[in-house]
Amino acid sequence: SLGRTSTSSSEESDEESVAEMEAARLKEELEEKKKFIASLKSRPWRMNRKLKCLKDAQQFVEKFEGYLGKGKGQTLYILKVTMSKKWNKFNRAFKNIMTAFIPWEKRIKEVESHFGASVGSYFIFLRWLYGMNLMLFVLVFGLVVLPEVLLGAPYGTIPRKIVPNSEKDKAMDVAILLEFEGYFKYSPLFYGYYNNQRTVGFLHYRLPLAYFLVGIGTFVYSLIAVVRRYANNSEEREFAFSWILFTSWDFLIGNSEAADSKFAAIITNIKESIVDEEDKKRCENVHARRCLRVLANLITFLCLCGSGYLIYYVVKRSVVFAAMDKDKVTWMEKNELELVVSLLGVAVPPLFEGISEMEEFHPRVALKWQLWRILALFIANLYSLTFALYDEVPLKFEKENAIKNATMWAMKENYGNGTMLSNSSAVAQPALHPADVMQGPCWETGIGIEFMKLTVSNIELAYLTILFSDFLRALLVRYLNYCWCWDLEAGFPSYGEFDISGNVLTILFSQAVIWVGTFFSPGLLGVNMIRLVTSMYIQSWAVMCCNIPHSKPFRISSHFYKVLLFIMLCASIIPVLYAIMVFPPSFDCGPFSEKQKMYDIITETIEKDFSAFWVTFFSYALNPGVVVLVVILMVLVIYYLKIVSKSYQKTNADLRKKLRMRREEEKNQMNNKDSSNHIMKDLEELLPKKTVIQLSTKDKMGESLKLSPKNGTMANGADGRFRNAVTRPPGPRMVGHLPGMPRLQIVSPGSARGRGQVIRW
Amino acid sequence: MGSRASTLLREEEIEEIKKETGFSHSQITRLYSRFTSLDKGENGTLSREDFQRIPELAINPLGDRIINAFFPEGEDQVNFRGFMRTLAHFRPIEDNEKNKDPTASEPLNSRNNKLRFAFRLYDLDRDDKISRDELLQVLRMMVGVNISDEQLGSIADRTIQEADQNGDNSISFNEFIKVLEKVDVEQKMSIRFLH
Repeated sequence: SLGRTSTSSSEESDEESVAEMEAARLKEELEEKKKFIASLKSRPWRMNRKLKCLKDAQQFVEKFEGYLGKGKGQTLYILKVTMSKKWNKFNRAFKNIMTAFIPWEKRIKEVESHFGASVGSYFIFLRWLYGMNLMLFVLVFGLVVLPEVLLGAPYGTIPRKIVPNSEKDKAMDVAILLEFEGYFKYSPLFYGYYNNQRTVGFLHYRLPLAYFLVGIGTFVYSLIAVVRRYANNSEEREFAFSWILFTSWDFLIGNSEAADSKFAAIITNIKESIVDEEDKKRCENVHARRCLRVLANLITFLCLCGSGYLIYYVVKRSVVFAAMDKDKVTWMEKNELELVVSLLGVAVPPLFEGISEMEEFHPRVALKWQLWRILALFIANLYSLTFALYDEVPLKFEKENAIKNATMWAMKENYGNGTMLSNSSAVAQPALHPADVMQGPCWETGIGIEFMKLTVSNIELAYLTILFSDFLRALLVRYLNYCWCWDLEAGFPSYGEFDISGNVLTILFSQAVIWVGTFFSPGLLGVNMIRLVTSMYIQSWAVMCCNIPHSKPFRISSHFYKVLLFIMLCASIIPVLYAIMVFPPSFDCGPFSEKQKMYDIITETIEKDFSAFWVTFFSYALNPGVVVLVVILMVLVIYYLKIVSKSYQKTNADLRKKLRMRREEEKNQMNNKDSSNHIMKDLEELLPKKTVIQLSTKDKMGESLKLSPKNGTMANGADGRFRNAVTRPPGPRMVGHLPGMPRLQIVSPGSARGRGQVIRW
Repeated sequence: MGSRASTLLREEEIEEIKKETGFSHSQITRLYSRFTSLDKGENGTLSREDFQRIPELAINPLGDRIINAFFPEGEDQVNFRGFMRTLAHFRPIEDNEKNKDPTASEPLNSRNNKLRFAFRLYDLDRDDKISRDELLQVLRMMVGVNISDEQLGSIADRTIQEADQNGDNSISFNEFIKVLEKVDVEQKMSIRFLH
């Protein structure tokens, strides 16, 4: 091909020649410095200066003469230079290869170019979550599941690992398997499968200890991963308009339709910034509005309580159903719990949106309130589910005790009979096949099963939502449009926009479920991996095929999502810790069976595996007094740091205000005007008639911004305060028609904007 | 068809470009093949029409100005050297870039030079100041015909009010730097050229 000279062969000689060139150059400089030193005496400078120059030159000569003077020194120098160049090349090649391994890069770039950076950031967040879950999966799988499967007792040898005879005939039914009972229940997917042997296999791998530590370790790793990405992001309003002017174009856009939306978004952005400026100078003191806001919060609180109670009630019902005969219970009743939880997550957020209409906040603030409320909803749901399940645990303990007594009695009987009949010392164990042994209700596995079912139903609901609200809707709008009375594409229902915040909260909630459930069900992470991968493909296809770009600029930064993720993580640690601390483990299943508490495994390990010194050390260190003292100390340190940071923020804000005031004063002095507020007055005219803030708009401006229905309206209809301003997409730009671009240049005002090009199969 | 030989890239040229721009050998050859693929006329230079064929530049409101930045003052063709010189502004800044010769001028991809490149996109008459009229032109390109002139004028005034520090009603290069102080220019104005 043109221009490809002989690169490969010349590279080697290339580097050597370069090294030689550098050596030659250094030699020249060295000669110069020597000459300089010799001539220094005769220069007419001051003594100080001469001494300083002399010192510098001598240092230079000392440093480099070694490299150049002797023959060996020179080759060493060249060797060093060549090595460093080879290392650089290797580094670059490595980095190239690593970028090839970043998954889904092309797919995400395509979405970005069509929909802009904000939708792309959702997929980047999804990819990051996938990475974190992959690490967790490898951790759990490698340290817990694999050793148990490879080194532990195989399937069928001990009671907990085999399907008991009472369930055997139905264990293979699809209906049972879908409920994760039957063969799934007695598999490494769930807590109950794991044996409580202290060490397994020839490696003496301490499985129960590993299980416990990995359980805690997943939280620690997640914390580290989340906090690492927790970059500080201050909302800078100092150069608001300058930034809009200079930095608002999204250079990742390569598609003309997305470019038009970006235009509209920039316009709306500018108008919102003006409203922001006005907002800052206004203090709201309207009592009626305050009452409404209190009322709105009250209603939200009631909704939360209501949904929490609903979940609690449904859990109680599901316990009743579980006790009933399986044939009499319909599918609906069996899966009631999961359906209710998932549907609450889908149905309540629009309700919150309606409530927020009442509050009349600035749109950005309203959106933040909305997200906080939905977060509270999810956490409330998660907690009511978990604690409702925990409520059932004492019942299971009673059942356990009953079974324990029964088994003891049976064993005693057998044992008694055995010794009476045989004289030999070989006291045979009661010859019970493992499948016949009565097994207790393993409460951990029970909880694990519930979470597994919840995750699966979340996945199903998510895909069904995509199918109906995006795909079918797009199909209908596209094809029914030919024979419908009003324009489906421009009016209701039109094509959907990608709901970033809804999607992010859904994956956050699922992630929280995973974090809580992994301790009780190691297989949950595997299911989550499948979910994330398929989600990436299905959602990116759905977005490209059925959605249109946003018309409103989207204000939520990814920093905010990280904050939400962090809160979810903290919220999901608590139920697990509660279970570990409060409930004793089941007596016959799981790695902690026959212990009083789950964390006894730690004390057991310390006693048996560590030397006496450590034992005494830990017994002193874990003294309650010491622990309490340490905790108080840490709380004090945190409090102190918080106060310090608050004072810094305050100082920052003060300084900024001072700076701004000083600049205005200077300018006023220079320009001899009384104030610069005449500019603000001009900006007031920019506002459309219908706004939050009742300003006296001049009619001239108001009319040019009012929505005239005869003009082609944007595909999303004309609702919302700021959409009034955008009456039609930007017309022909000042630049002439560019060659090679098949875009329509002139959009006549009368035609509706067809979005037919959007759907791609 | 002209002299084909002059379109091949010679070793000395690669060396010179390397020194001037800091790109590596393989990057330069790769970019050369991109240059030749854009050069439909096959005469070793690019014209404005060649650039306008790139879709991302075509839909960019500042597309024409960016294309203009490639061409030296008053010329209509840009050769490979000029092409590389402009692209060098977008090379990412590496932390360990050892400057063997401390007296050499600032590399083309320093933050200052990147900002200067951006500044020149707005400062059309090259008087080292972005005046109110130039801001109005940019605004008009960005918003089309949706907003009236007076409103755009107010926005331009507001922008100058934010950025202007010495009261001359225009934005100088130093004021421009101050405005974009908190923006991560090193990352946003960099393209990851594959080695």
